[in-house]
Amino acid sequence: MTAVNTTEAAAPAGTIPPALPPATTRGAPKRRRRGSAFDRALPYLLLAPALIAILWLIGWPVVSVFVTSFRQLNLGELVRGEVVWTGLDNYAAVLQDERFWIASLRTVVFTVAVVGASVGTGLGIALLMRVLTPWVRIALQIAMLCAWAMPILASTTVYQWMFDQNYGILNKTLVQLGFDSYAGYSWFSSGTSTLSVVGLLIIWQAIPFLAFSLYAGLVGIPRDLYEAAGIDGASPWQTFRAVTWPEIRSLLMMVTFLSTLWDFKVFAQIWVFREGGPSGESTTLPVLQYLEGIAKSHFGVAAAISVLMMLILGLITFQYLRKLLQTEEGKL
Amino acid sequence: MKGWRGLAVGAAALAVAVSGCGTSTSSGGATETKEITVWLMDGSAPTTLTDALNKEFESANGIKVKYEVQKWTGIQEKLTTALASSTPPDVIELGNTQTASFADQGTLADLTADAGQFNGGEWLGGLKDSLTLNGKQYGVPFYAANRTVIYRTDLLKAAGVEKAPTSRAEWLDAINKLKAANASNPDFQALYLPGQSWYFLLSLIWDEGGDIAKQDGGKWTGTLDTPQAKAGFQAYKELYDASATKKVPADIDEAKPQQMEVFGTGNVGMMVGLPWELGGAVKAKPDLADKTSAFPIPSKKAGSAAPVFLGGSNLAIPASSKNADAAKKYLALLSSKNYQDQLAAGGAVPGTSKDTSKLASNAIGKAMADSSPNGKVTPVTPKWAAVEAGQNPLKDALTAYLTGAKTLDQATKDASDAITKAMA
Repeated sequence: MTAVNTTEAAAPAGTIPPALPPATTRGAPKRRRRGSAFDRALPYLLLAPALIAILWLIGWPVVSVFVTSFRQLNLGELVRGEVVWTGLDNYAAVLQDERFWIASLRTVVFTVAVVGASVGTGLGIALLMRVLTPWVRIALQIAMLCAWAMPILASTTVYQWMFDQNYGILNKTLVQLGFDSYAGYSWFSSGTSTLSVVGLLIIWQAIPFLAFSLYAGLVGIPRDLYEAAGIDGASPWQTFRAVTWPEIRSLLMMVTFLSTLWDFKVFAQIWVFREGGPSGESTTLPVLQYLEGIAKSHFGVAAAISVLMMLILGLITFQYLRKLLQTEEGKL
Repeated sequence: MKGWRGLAVGAAALAVAVSGCGTSTSSGGATETKEITVWLMDGSAPTTLTDALNKEFESANGIKVKYEVQKWTGIQEKLTTALASSTPPDVIELGNTQTASFADQGTLADLTADAGQFNGGEWLGGLKDSLTLNGKQYGVPFYAANRTVIYRTDLLKAAGVEKAPTSRAEWLDAINKLKAANASNPDFQALYLPGQSWYFLLSLIWDEGGDIAKQDGGKWTGTLDTPQAKAGFQAYKELYDASATKKVPADIDEAKPQQMEVFGTGNVGMMVGLPWELGGAVKAKPDLADKTSAFPIPSKKAGSAAPVFLGGSNLAIPASSKNADAAKKYLALLSSKNYQDQLAAGGAVPGTSKDTSKLASNAIGKAMADSSPNGKVTPVTPKWAAVEAGQNPLKDALTAYLTGAKTLDQATKDASDAITKAMA
């Protein structure tokens, strides 16, 4: 999310044209561009309002989460406006709780599985779209747009109905097909099963964006490259490896990175399904943060878990971030 | 989304820190008070009552009442923000399980010394417990409601059950008869009982002589693994297994889906519910009004009612209120017999009057009045909120036990440990 916001926020700053004031500044009638200190400062002054707005909107809350994580901030402190510093107590409490480690592991496995499946399927659909006839492709695109436009909670509710124990269409269909043991089968009897259903929902919700983005990348690849590959007698797999892959690799990296950010912090879907149950078995880090921090009014603990989540996310995406920074410094 | 939650909290926290600790608590003397702000909750007191009350208060004291009705959804956050402000409301309504945590954080005024002017002798025991912390009272009981067994008179009659059950055995018998009489309807629920109806489980546990947790030297320990509490779980399973051929899932509670909606479908013979739930069902299906009645949750001991969880509200004065004296006068007026009778007539158990004759005028009110003296609440400690917030061990234990995922011993032991840990 941070990455997205930075890009968005950077846009307005970028649209401010670089200051190239004609030499008519007050007190310096005839001066070239590299003139007074004021002239040199002018671009920065013009950038300042946007920069301050960005820092205030994005930087300040991040700093405040960090600062809050070192405070004891329960309902009482919040109401009385007290500032109670507790040093690393919040972190110690979180790190000593075995549930934090279980939830961390669960979140990482869940994220990897969901990101892998959704990016893989998205890529598959993007490749498929390129070879479909226009009408079929348009139908597919409309269907995906509809899926994409569906509000999260609405689709979550529909999935709950589909997987309902007594009246869900899935169990009824399975029984009709002869799998009688699925009559009254509960899909939410274990954490793994619950998270699988939630994961399926999230993959379903993520595919349209991934497929469209990757399709956009694919249509940018010149057709003649494929013709050349065809003339050389390359198999479809070889064509994919040699032509498609190098062209969309960086795009694929980016959507994988974004998906990781999104799927790591999924809260609404998991919460709505079983509130992290049964017996806490589908509690991921965002759910744990809500339970420990917000639901119990321990805002300091909530902030500490937030900071730890940022660290874990940083570790997962470390390689990508490094490449991103290198690219910007080196090639751009 | 989660990230933003954290950020928002952090931002709120800092905003508070920046605005300084300027909430002085000196109540500036009642003479200066020109207006008090009163927050009551949606659906708690009938409008006719509040209109009359506010009018009487204004003319008697020359102080205007700014009366605002709040929604339950999101009230915790709203109260938190309001109490942190420099002009908090002067009278607030708090859910009885919420009260202890607000009191513990020092956000409510201590009203122990003033109990006399609030009809202190007639307070409803269960509610009084819920607002008492370390021997001090941080509020005034407002009203309470408890669960009764709401049933379809026509269906029970058709099944040959002539009189309302007065013991658990009779109740089970009625359920079985009802089930047999409606065997042709595969969706019929003789008793609509979702697997996580934990307030009802409390009734059974208390009825068996067990409890959720016990306090020993300031330390709370979960007691769900005692033989008495286990017997409560067993009674639940017995009722759950008998309830229907196609049982309600074991991993949902009475609110998801709203059991009143299910009751409104007409496929349900009985449910353990609150008066407003019957009201909701009747609203959806008006012809239910003449076909429903209620009886107290029967005890295993014939002829008596099982203890019930007493849900309800307390009234409190924020510690930072600048008009505490006027607010006390307001509470005193509301605690008077006249208004308490109006509350009872509106279908609630009044908080500061033992006279429930007005309530007993209809069947469900009578069933409620019969069991309310037996009303109990969850452990009164600010730590209880941690048990109930989010993943409730009682619900988890019920699901695990009913689905067979865990044995009774394992499920109750895990739940007990979870409670001990959450309340540590």
